[in-house]
Amino acid sequence: MSSQTALQTAEELLKPYAMEMIKQEEDFRLDVLLSPDQLHEAVKALHDARWGYLSAIAGVDHPAPVIGEDANASGTVQEKGKESQVEVLYVFCQGAAVLVLRLKVPYTHAELPTVCDLIPSATLYERELMEMFGVEIHGTPVKDRLLLPDEWPEGVYPLRKATIIGTTRSGSEE
Amino acid sequence: MTNLKLDSNWQRILDKIRTWARVNSPWAIHFNSGSCNGCDIEILATLTPRYDVERFGIKLQGSPRHADVLICTGPVTLQARDRLIRIYEQMPEPKFVIAVGSCGLSGGVFHGCYNVVGSIDEVLPVNVYIPGCPPRPEAIIYGVVQLLNSLKSGVSKVGTVAELVEKQEA
Amino acid sequence: METRKSSEKFVVPIGPQHPALKEPGHFEFTVDGEIVTGASVRLGYVHRGIEKGAEDRTWTQNIYLLERICGICSHVHATAYVLGVEKLAGVSAPPRAQAIRTVTAELERIHSHLLWLGVAAHEGGFDTLFMYSWRDRETVMDLLELISGNRVHYSTNVLGGVKYDLDTEKMDAIRRGLDFLEERTHHYMKVVTTDETFLARTRGVGLMTREQAEALGAVGPTARASSVRRDIRIDAPYAAYPDFPVKLITDDGGDLLARFVVRLKELFESYRVIRAILDQMPEGELTTRVPRRIPAGEVISRVEAPRGELFYYIKSNGGEKPERIKVRTPSLCNWGTVVSVAVGHKLADMPMLLAGIDPCFSCNDRMVRINRGQGAQFWSWENLRQYGIEYYR
Ligand code: SF4
Repeated sequence: MSSQTALQTAEELLKPYAMEMIKQEEDFRLDVLLSPDQLHEAVKALHDARWGYLSAIAGVDHPAPVIGEDANASGTVQEKGKESQVEVLYVFCQGAAVLVLRLKVPYTHAELPTVCDLIPSATLYERELMEMFGVEIHGTPVKDRLLLPDEWPEGVYPLRKATIIGTTRSGSEE
Repeated sequence: MTNLKLDSNWQRILDKIRTWARVNSPWAIHFNSGSCNGCDIEILATLTPRYDVERFGIKLQGSPRHADVLICTGPVTLQARDRLIRIYEQMPEPKFVIAVGSCGLSGGVFHGCYNVVGSIDEVLPVNVYIPGCPPRPEAIIYGVVQLLNSLKSGVSKVGTVAELVEKQEA
Repeated sequence: METRKSSEKFVVPIGPQHPALKEPGHFEFTVDGEIVTGASVRLGYVHRGIEKGAEDRTWTQNIYLLERICGICSHVHATAYVLGVEKLAGVSAPPRAQAIRTVTAELERIHSHLLWLGVAAHEGGFDTLFMYSWRDRETVMDLLELISGNRVHYSTNVLGGVKYDLDTEKMDAIRRGLDFLEERTHHYMKVVTTDETFLARTRGVGLMTREQAEALGAVGPTARASSVRRDIRIDAPYAAYPDFPVKLITDDGGDLLARFVVRLKELFESYRVIRAILDQMPEGELTTRVPRRIPAGEVISRVEAPRGELFYYIKSNGGEKPERIKVRTPSLCNWGTVVSVAVGHKLADMPMLLAGIDPCFSCNDRMVRINRGQGAQFWSWENLRQYGIEYYR
């Protein structure tokens, strides 16, 4: 299966679930916007069709724009919502074809279903996502700390933009 | 050792023998407190045929309870800090610490990252600093030899039994 | 970390400090007598917060930070990053730069595989092989030092190209080095596939079928040893791989032996590719200009590290610093395989099994405690390794 046809197959598979599809032909890349409750079904469709493998789960933080600051600095594919959100990308790969499932969850309902029942290897990725972004994954088999130290405070998620720890962010004098 | 009290001449001779033994065959333990591996593979490389530190009597081994020298690499991460201290505490006196690599000296490129405490000397007393990213195996051997020399000449503090007895009496 | 403590089951945690290898990680194996019935992993001892740190460094500074994620596969990290950023900026490095990147990447693969061969042999109690392979590894270290001036962290990449050129003298030195290594690799191949004691520790151990490897998301040589056809250098060629294709190496053994064989065969492939590139080295510039501010956008950059697929997600907001960098290292994928493959194996096989995937903790992130009912006993990795060796005497 060439990468081109692989992408077409994926497009067909995900049509019933997608809110929007964005195709980047030259990169063999397909971005599929999903609503969080469609995630499990969409992954199941891919899994049942044996399409590719889960390469990574990446989180991207989209804090609500602060009034008085230039809020339009970022955002290419997605437009800015009012509410602070975490965008979660499930990246599937098959050969050169890359399929990205994009989901947005607001801070207030930062919850996603697990995909570990379909893809067992997702457990480490899900644990990382929980720790780094504070996205609650329902039904994931292990919820222990994976990366952060044991004495790390609850409710502090290092990869959220608002979290400023140590001297990491410029401008902070701590 | 507490009730052991020898004639001071005897004690001096005994201490000499101990220093001699220590200088001729220091046992080292290696701990990675958050390094990138670069320093660690270079430390391991010193064991291999081209550098072969064992010809100086230096032995890298597993248990902190048998070690004289703690060779430390990397910036200290929050999670590794307690382990590092625990390993240091498990080592018998006298003990020495060698910090290897820019990270161990200052935090290096990881300075300011949220899970990094900083340099090793913020956590443990360090005797020898070996700079480089990573230092060459030659540099690491040179660093260890420097420590041995300072032990021989008495610059580095090797708590002797004579001193210990004195302290207890005081 | 949660452990199940029952009177018949022992929990054997490995980590986080262990002397023979290089990095701390923490596993817990639940054992029933000799047989492992469960395994779990705790990383984070070398978690430094690089992804967050990267958001506070400029595009150029990040090359040096990301390169230092791992000291063994440092060049591939930098390569994945610069390739991604170049794509965002809409430039591509000149052919000569791509060729030099590829040569460095393959030399790094040789150093990494030889290092692994030594470490894996050491875990199996075969220290002679460890010493030999590390001695020969010095040859490739010399070559890397010759090119870049440093034995680890070559910093060959810059945004838009490379820093170092290869002249005829250096190329000849590389060719001579490769000739020596090729001869030695033939020898290792013979040792690994014919030495009876070694075969007893590797053949049929850690069996992973193709289905399992696929389901568990294994990558790199670990997957290819279970005949999974997955190699980014072939699937989605980058740098100079489109012009100098590599051959896919797979093995259908699926056991530890197959993992040895795949890696050794990959060495031969690396030698061949480097020679091919050196013979047809493109002429031209070493760098192109890359703007200081990278246009807004996001890119996924995948390269084949010595341990498997390395994944970078880079997002720019048009500023001098990246908005978000996500790094997913190959070792993280392969952890899953150990955790499930371990079940049903003897505790004595664990060191070899772990070494078999060539774990790299700093890419993600070992003392052993045995809980016998109430009493806990501490085991170091060394004890466990020794236990494994004695067990098979
Ligand atoms: S000093 Fe350099 S080689 Fe050593 S741990 Fe730090 S980054 Fe790695």
